[in-house]
Amino acid sequence: MTDIGKVRIRIPSGIKAGDVVRARVLVLHPMEIVERRAGKPVDKNYLFVNRVVVSYAGREIGLFDLTQSVSENPFLSFAFRATEPGQLKVTFLDTHGGKYEGTADVKFG
Amino acid sequence: MNDRTDPTPLSRRALLKSAGVLGAAGLLAPWLGAPPPALAQGNLGNLVPEEPVDATLKRLFGGRPIKDGSSAITLELPIIAENGALVPISVEVASPMTPQSYVKTIYVISDKNRRPMNARFNLTPASGQAFVATNLRLGESTDVRAVAELSDGTLLMAKRDVKVTIGGCGG
Repeated sequence: MTDIGKVRIRIPSGIKAGDVVRARVLVLHPMEIVERRAGKPVDKNYLFVNRVVVSYAGREIGLFDLTQSVSENPFLSFAFRATEPGQLKVTFLDTHGGKYEGTADVKFG
Repeated sequence: MNDRTDPTPLSRRALLKSAGVLGAAGLLAPWLGAPPPALAQGNLGNLVPEEPVDATLKRLFGGRPIKDGSSAITLELPIIAENGALVPISVEVASPMTPQSYVKTIYVISDKNRRPMNARFNLTPASGQAFVATNLRLGESTDVRAVAELSDGTLLMAKRDVKVTIGGCGG
C-alpha cells in the first residue's frame, strides 16, 4: 500500500474556451469494506475515501460523498465548463484524515 | 443519528460519533458535513446506515414525490456484471446547467446492497453538464437507481437492473 493516495487525473487535449470537458480521475486507495464476525459488523475506523472536492480555477465546482460501495482504487468522471485557463484540482479525503490531491492544467491551444 | 440531541453521550463511541456530527449540525447525515477533525469517520456509527432501500429513499427524500426521470436521465450500467467488485456506472441528466436551472445532486442507490446509499454527487452550474461516472461494488443482482435533485427541488429517478455473477461485498 505504499502507493496509497496516488492520484491520476486526465483531461482531453485541445480544449477550447467554453467547452464542456469530461475529466477522469483515479486514486489508489483500498476502500476497506465492513468486516463481519459471526454476522455482526465489527466496529472500527474503516479506511475509505468518503469525500471528494473538485475545484477549478480556485472555485469549488463539485463535492462528492463516497461510501464503501465504491470500488477499490476509486475511479470518477465528471464534467466541467472550461471558461478560463486555470488548474483543475481534485482532492480526496479519507476516514483516517488522509488528503490526496491531483491537478491538471486547463489551457487553451 | 439520534445521539445528536441526546444530552448524555458518555461512551467513547458516542463521544467520537458526536464529534463527527458537530460539523454537520442541521444537515441530513453526519458524513455530509465538513470533514470532522476526529479520526473516527470510518466507525460504524458514521457510515451510511444498513437499511432496506425504502428506508434509504425515505431518509434522503422524506415524503417528497419522486418523478419518473427515465427520459431525462441516461443511466449506463452493464446488463450482466461478471465481477460485482467493479461495476462501471455513468449517469447523465439532461439539464441546461445554468444558475437558474441545474442539477444540484445525483444520488446513486443500489437496492440490494446492505447500505443502499452508495454515492452522492453535488454539482454546480460550473459543471456544464450533469454527468458523473464511477465504479460500484454490488453484492448481488440488484436494481440500481440514479436520483437527480434539480435546483428547483424536483426529484427524478431512473432505474436499471444489473445481474451480478460474483458478488462484490457491496458494503
